[in-house]
Amino acid sequence: MEPLIRLESVAMLYGDNGTSAAALRGITLSIEKGEYVGITGESGAGKSTLLTILGGLQVPTSGSVRFDGVDARSLTQDQLADLRRESIGFVFQAYNLLPYLTARENVMVPMSPVRMGSGEKEEKANALLASVGLSGKEHRLPSELSGGECQRVAIARALVHDPSVLLADEPTGNLDTASGEQILDLFSEWNARGKTVLMVTHNPANLARATRSLRLRDGQVEEDRALRFLPAGPAAV
Amino acid sequence: MNIRKLAWKNLLRRKSRALFTGLGIFLGIGTFVALASLTGQMRQAVQDKLDRFGANILVVPRTDELSLGFGDISLGGTQVARAKLTMEDEKAIRSIPLKERLRLVVPFFLTAADASGKDIVWMGMPAQEIPSARPWWKASGSMKLGKGEVLLGSEAAARLDMGPGGTVTSGGRTFRVAGALAPTGEKEDGMVISGIDDVQALARKPGAVTFYEVAALCKDCPVEDIVTQIGGALPGARVSAIRQVVESRKAAVDQFRRLGLGVSAIVLAIGGLMVFVTVMGSVQERTREIGVLRAVGFRRKAILSLLLWETGWISLISSVTGASIGIAAAILVAPLFGMARTGAALPPAILGVAIGMALGLLGAVPPARKAAALSPTAAIRSL
Repeated sequence: MEPLIRLESVAMLYGDNGTSAAALRGITLSIEKGEYVGITGESGAGKSTLLTILGGLQVPTSGSVRFDGVDARSLTQDQLADLRRESIGFVFQAYNLLPYLTARENVMVPMSPVRMGSGEKEEKANALLASVGLSGKEHRLPSELSGGECQRVAIARALVHDPSVLLADEPTGNLDTASGEQILDLFSEWNARGKTVLMVTHNPANLARATRSLRLRDGQVEEDRALRFLPAGPAAV
Repeated sequence: MNIRKLAWKNLLRRKSRALFTGLGIFLGIGTFVALASLTGQMRQAVQDKLDRFGANILVVPRTDELSLGFGDISLGGTQVARAKLTMEDEKAIRSIPLKERLRLVVPFFLTAADASGKDIVWMGMPAQEIPSARPWWKASGSMKLGKGEVLLGSEAAARLDMGPGGTVTSGGRTFRVAGALAPTGEKEDGMVISGIDDVQALARKPGAVTFYEVAALCKDCPVEDIVTQIGGALPGARVSAIRQVVESRKAAVDQFRRLGLGVSAIVLAIGGLMVFVTVMGSVQERTREIGVLRAVGFRRKAILSLLLWETGWISLISSVTGASIGIAAAILVAPLFGMARTGAALPPAILGVAIGMALGLLGAVPPARKAAALSPTAAIRSL
């Protein structure tokens, strides 16, 4: 059975030939459905680059990336965009909400290019905001929300198309401990529904909920270990 | 939420930028519509004034060339009129289908006759037509000719050493000099001008006409049509448009149109450049936002569409506003150009809105394409 994401000998160079720097050096790994993977490492180890490759935001300089058995190199930019919209949700450390849109409108942004009634979009956004505990704050602008609330809006936005993978880059990095715990609870809930979570973090405590830990060093996987076994049953399939 | 609404929301957020982008289109379209309306009115006014200034069609008898010679000796030639023009022909001229276009039909009669002992050409024309047929004449004394009165061309006055109040004798009659014309540079400078009846009587040719001058209002109809119709009404006459007059009028009118178009083109080009610069700046400023949109699954086309919708909204609003202000300005300033205040001219306004939309969208296409081509990698680096 094909893994959800498969990386083979993936290398990523930045810069031109004269001054190129390797962010990733020959990484090979597989991500299975239902995994909760914590990616750690020092600054500059290649964590964020790995995450963007796993999320189809960039294609590696060499090596192959396969999503559900499909080679990323065979996909056009538009097909990659469709893949991101339909199968992958992104959560960023800095939330990256559009400041001129309300919480509900931010959640609706990924649905903008999709033909769907505005009432249906609003209903879906309201339900997602309720699921992350933001009922009653649908009409607030990001500037009127706390950091934790902004991150929850960002999570609701990432989940709007019910993706199979959630990618999070330091999602609790800007939050206090209590807010960070709430975010991690949401990830755990999502993972418990059989969805895959890939989270870059500096905080070893965040790994407590992960099923697998990947530690990077100088663009290579230094350690890849299971933290707990995936529960058996349909949810893990 | 859809791309149209997202574009609108972004505009509301960046009001000053939107205002600046729209300002270029607003000024461009406002100027274009104001100038197009004004020059349209000016063309009409100028054409009307030019049409009222002198004749543009000449009617003369059709002539045959008769060469004179004997053996190898050539004595030159002479023109023999096949038919002569008379005062009755005015009725025929005024009966053509385009008769409403005829502002003036003036008969002239020329004869060489004695004037106080000197041979001078006498020109007869209806005295009451002098102000409209020769509005550029200026005279010392009076321009009003009564029975038995004459005007002297400047050279004729010098030859006769005569001024207003003097008398000229010819054919046993005495004519009082009502006025002396200032030099015109035309042949009439050397002529004695009198009422056509008096000159016909002097030549003993009552009712005879040498030529007719016709002043036709040629707006919206080619002068050639009028020429053809007069030629049909007077088969024995040769009718020709005074090409120089027609062309100079056309040239004067075209000057206004070219001026308007030139200024509008410059202002519109500046407007387009402003759109290009502001949208390009907006794209660079919004790399992060575009990165987020690409990350959440916006295709390139969706990014292109978003930026074009933004510019489309600005273009529509600023074009409509610019066109409205342009029309209002044209109406308000029309009296300053000596024109009557007229109603709103819709064609330039509609054309202006269309140009404004096209200009805005064309100016936004290069930066929008750049934004759409922005790789998520480049955009994501700014996250």
